[in-house]
Amino acid sequence: MNEAVKVNYLMRLDAPMGLLINREKPVSFTFEGKTFTGFEGDSIASALLANKHWLMSRSFKYHRPRGPLTMAGQDANTLVQLGGEPNVLADRQTITSAMMVEGQNYNGTLENDRDAILGNFGRFMPVGFYYRSFFKPMGVWDKWEGFIRKKAGLGKLDLTFQPEYYDKKYLFHDVLVVGAGPAGLAAALEAADAGASVLLVEEQPILGGALTYSRFDEEGVVADKLRTDLVARVEAHSRIDVLLNATCNAWFTDNYLPIIQGKRMFKVRAKECIVASGAFEQHVVFRNNDLPGVMMSSAAMRLMKLYAIKPAEQAVVLTGNDDGYLTAIELHQQGVLVAAVIDMRERADNPELVSAVQKKGIQVKSGFTVYEALPTKGNKHIRAVDIRKIIARGEVDKASTLIECDLLCMSAGYMPSYQLLCQAGGQLKYDDDAALFSLSNLPDHLYIAGSVNGINSLDAVVADGRFAALKALQQLGLTEETALPVKCTRTLNYQWPIFSHPKGKDFVDFDEDLQAKDIINATRLGYRDVQLVKRFSTVGMGPSQGRHSALPTARLVAKATHRTVTETGVTTARPPYCPEKLAHVAGRIFDPSRQTAMHYRHLELGAKMIPAGNWQRPAFYGKPDERDQCIHAEATHVRNKVGLIDVSTLGGIDIRGPDAAEFMNRIYTFAFLKQPVGKTRYAVLTSEQGVVIDDGVACRINEEHFYVTATTGGVDRVYRDMMKWNAQWRLDIDIANVTSAFSAVNLAGPDARKVLEKLTSDIDLSCEGFPYLAYREGTVAGIPSRLLRVGFVGELGYEIHVPARFGEALWDALMEAGKSLDIKPFGVETQRLLRLEKGHIIVSQDTDGMSHPGELSLNWAVNRKKSFFIGCRSVDIVMAQKQTRKLVGFKLPVTSTKPEEGHLVLEGENISGNVTSCEFSPATNAIIGMAYAGINQSDIGFQLPIRVNNGEMVMAEVVALPFYDPDNSRQEM
Amino acid sequence: MHTIQPESYSQRSFIYRQFSGEKSVDNTFMQVAGGVLALSTGKDSDAPGLIDLSLVPRAGFRGVNAEQYVNSMGFPVPASPNQAAMTSQGECVLRLSQKEFWLLSHPQQNVCDRVEGYALPENGCYPLYCQDSHTWFAMTGKHCPDILAKVCGVDLRAACFPPGAIAQTSVARVNAIIIHHVIGSEQVFSIMSDSASATYLWGALLDAMAEYEGQVYGLNKLIE
Repeated sequence: MNEAVKVNYLMRLDAPMGLLINREKPVSFTFEGKTFTGFEGDSIASALLANKHWLMSRSFKYHRPRGPLTMAGQDANTLVQLGGEPNVLADRQTITSAMMVEGQNYNGTLENDRDAILGNFGRFMPVGFYYRSFFKPMGVWDKWEGFIRKKAGLGKLDLTFQPEYYDKKYLFHDVLVVGAGPAGLAAALEAADAGASVLLVEEQPILGGALTYSRFDEEGVVADKLRTDLVARVEAHSRIDVLLNATCNAWFTDNYLPIIQGKRMFKVRAKECIVASGAFEQHVVFRNNDLPGVMMSSAAMRLMKLYAIKPAEQAVVLTGNDDGYLTAIELHQQGVLVAAVIDMRERADNPELVSAVQKKGIQVKSGFTVYEALPTKGNKHIRAVDIRKIIARGEVDKASTLIECDLLCMSAGYMPSYQLLCQAGGQLKYDDDAALFSLSNLPDHLYIAGSVNGINSLDAVVADGRFAALKALQQLGLTEETALPVKCTRTLNYQWPIFSHPKGKDFVDFDEDLQAKDIINATRLGYRDVQLVKRFSTVGMGPSQGRHSALPTARLVAKATHRTVTETGVTTARPPYCPEKLAHVAGRIFDPSRQTAMHYRHLELGAKMIPAGNWQRPAFYGKPDERDQCIHAEATHVRNKVGLIDVSTLGGIDIRGPDAAEFMNRIYTFAFLKQPVGKTRYAVLTSEQGVVIDDGVACRINEEHFYVTATTGGVDRVYRDMMKWNAQWRLDIDIANVTSAFSAVNLAGPDARKVLEKLTSDIDLSCEGFPYLAYREGTVAGIPSRLLRVGFVGELGYEIHVPARFGEALWDALMEAGKSLDIKPFGVETQRLLRLEKGHIIVSQDTDGMSHPGELSLNWAVNRKKSFFIGCRSVDIVMAQKQTRKLVGFKLPVTSTKPEEGHLVLEGENISGNVTSCEFSPATNAIIGMAYAGINQSDIGFQLPIRVNNGEMVMAEVVALPFYDPDNSRQEM
Repeated sequence: MHTIQPESYSQRSFIYRQFSGEKSVDNTFMQVAGGVLALSTGKDSDAPGLIDLSLVPRAGFRGVNAEQYVNSMGFPVPASPNQAAMTSQGECVLRLSQKEFWLLSHPQQNVCDRVEGYALPENGCYPLYCQDSHTWFAMTGKHCPDILAKVCGVDLRAACFPPGAIAQTSVARVNAIIIHHVIGSEQVFSIMSDSASATYLWGALLDAMAEYEGQVYGLNKLIE
């Protein structure tokens, strides 16, 4: 055993103290570069305290030394840097071997922080000073910004951080119990015994809540006995699932609760929810109440009971309730010299406790308070307290007594852990006279139990847990038993534990270094509402989210504005309950992507893949930095030989039934009632506003069956619209989105027919037998296929649609058959160039949210004789109005600067349109494009001014579309 | 050296590459309806498993006369939507809505052969393309509800989702149909989802299973 481990053994209290530590397993880690040794189960904070190291952080504003306050992760005093992760709670994070921990928010070293001098200039930094400074004169902020940003924030981000694996999981239970203290344990057992499935969630690593650290009786036996009994029953219960180290971070409607445990967020659906979240011990406001060595009574109890750490040699207990006496007894029992119990009340509730304490030689000072904690050099630790007689609410006598100590335990009372309940709509009320909280207005299926419900005696807490469970069970139909609500008159809150000091440093909010005068000054500046005080002073906005500052703030605001705390209220509690990482919110990121059946063939051929909606498509085949060359070569190849493109991403919708033609006729602008079987027809879809929203090709397979394609990105909308419209029309049809069911290719180029002939024997592929715009069914390489004669790229072309499971085999067969004809694949960017040469629009690229058929020269695709199609009335209206713009083709010489999509078309000083498509065209040896232009700019031969990059103007000639093969001889061959 | 490989056939599973190439060392395949599926992956344990059934034959029908048609072929018809019924041959009949039915084969049979013998009603009953529009995975093992709870918001524990139950929901953000039923003697959760998203979903499910040491199995996990 090395020396460090030996020392650690010697520093610890004997068992049964140390519920969380395993004394058989020493663990070494470093803090600020120095090696410390603790035991497995120790938190960073407990391990440091076991080594007598109390300084863990520096405060946010004044850089004051800070040590543990709650030992329960409820405050910002123990925020440390753990490797690349800032703001880790040292009193929650367990140590692991070789862990490297650093302090944060200091200039120099944690021990010698040069910025601690800021504490001397507090009067120059009053509340809200930064709102009122640094912005005048104009431009001065730029000079301040760097300095302020450097001083702001806590911890250091690791910019080389690599995302880690976080995920989410749903859980479903009849009853969720939040908090595994005596109330939660009792509630869980009651519910599970009655047959409910129960999820019990506990923030700490051990079941029992206050039973694990609090003392409930003079002898100190009740808590352990009850905990042992309840925990054993819970652990043995088959219907209770337990999550430890887990935080219920919010409440959402219908008991939807996110629970964070480790790197996972559980999304819990609970039929009934019981919140037994306990209460936060509250601090006393006096000068230097933030010194290391000043802590909550419960924190000292935790140190002893959970970590077997003797927290001091000589302690003083400052209390506003009887619990302080029990703390004193525990400290005494563990070998700490308790110099005094300072009771702010005139008398204790239980005189037997007072006499028990006095019998141990501990002096009791009733009606006194600590007025000031006196520090060692550099404010590193408490060395004594100045106690004074309380003469009025918040006022003390001038006579002072000093008591030396190295620990001050304080308790002004408890505030319910109300956050989840207020998120659910609960109202927190406060009885100013009795200093009692109550929560009301909870939604159905949400219950509270234990100290969060204002129940403070142990027996009543257990009974209250059972009562809450009974209410839940009644809702679940698992019991008809009824019980009376539990009543408890025990009060623990001292009415006014605030003793302002003329020299300040009497902290209300430790996170933000806010003193009592800061809150009062905020009200004097006109911020009378507690919500405004919060925003102006930032009270409650730090990591502890007002757990300790909300109540003293409400008290101070109430006093300053001559109202009650009930009238003042507390600040709003919003999710999350405690800080959560974005990684928890994101979880394992699911980013679905779709691949065609030929996807891997594209990769094998060296395709540059691009997203198209949620699909992945080949843009072109070749090196990404040779984009233009690849596209031009592929386009030239299609024009001269034969190419193959995967068009499986095209939407496909089957319309079947007696009313199929009528339905098509109502949906699309063209006429479809008389479309011949075996023919295709261009189909344009307009919205109710008359805007072109999609297009495709409609094939009539038989009298009652249409197969219509849609754009890759638009098919879901088209399908949804079709379903919506037919819900109204009630036509006798079936609408099926078959996009994924079919793989498709476009075999295009002068040699396309020759390739297809090698694979097809049951279709007459001659120009007469299978002419342009015809539809046929047959087999290609033995695969059942739907074939369309298309001309989208302006060459002889066949779209071949096959069941998706055959898709790759079809590709293989066509590439093999075309080998002797030098077949080559081409990508979607090449297809865009080829269709541009033919003057075909792409909906959503060449159209926008206002494009009507007239602007797109699609009048020919709108049947004006039929009585109805979707948007017909709007189309009539917009096309009857004077047209202001038109999509035109333009041409530029090769030597010109090439406009990009989105570049502006100008008409004088006004913008008349924009470029929608533009590419160099190998077929025409020119730069070609389409653009919206003013109606006066749309005549053939007009010189269209386009402003390109860097403000340069190019004058493009408006030309007739298409740019290539105007008589369509190539696609109709 | 394996005698049969997926690429030797014109019908290929949407995720056959997960079983071929470098991943194929321990794999053997069996013919299923014009293609092949992994028969064995060389793994056999009690750990949860994921099995590709994409090529196992299935047929779907929709329309006002679909129920009558399914009934006329002798298949049991579930009483209400989102229920499944098993036949004595191990086929599974899914009722996805009042008017939509799917018939799933046992991996060693072909329900489509049986369907071919029955003429469709003249109207009101339209065949669906579920063989190609959807991929079919089966998840086995006792941790299935826990695994699926990582990717799906429906309570799939046996008490809430007994054999015969169907959920039409979202799995890892992809639309999916989940069926709790039996294949052979194995309780499975069949997951039928967009075939174009098959590779993505396969990966997402395996990722979710990793915590439970999930394995990729072949059909031999389900057949005698």
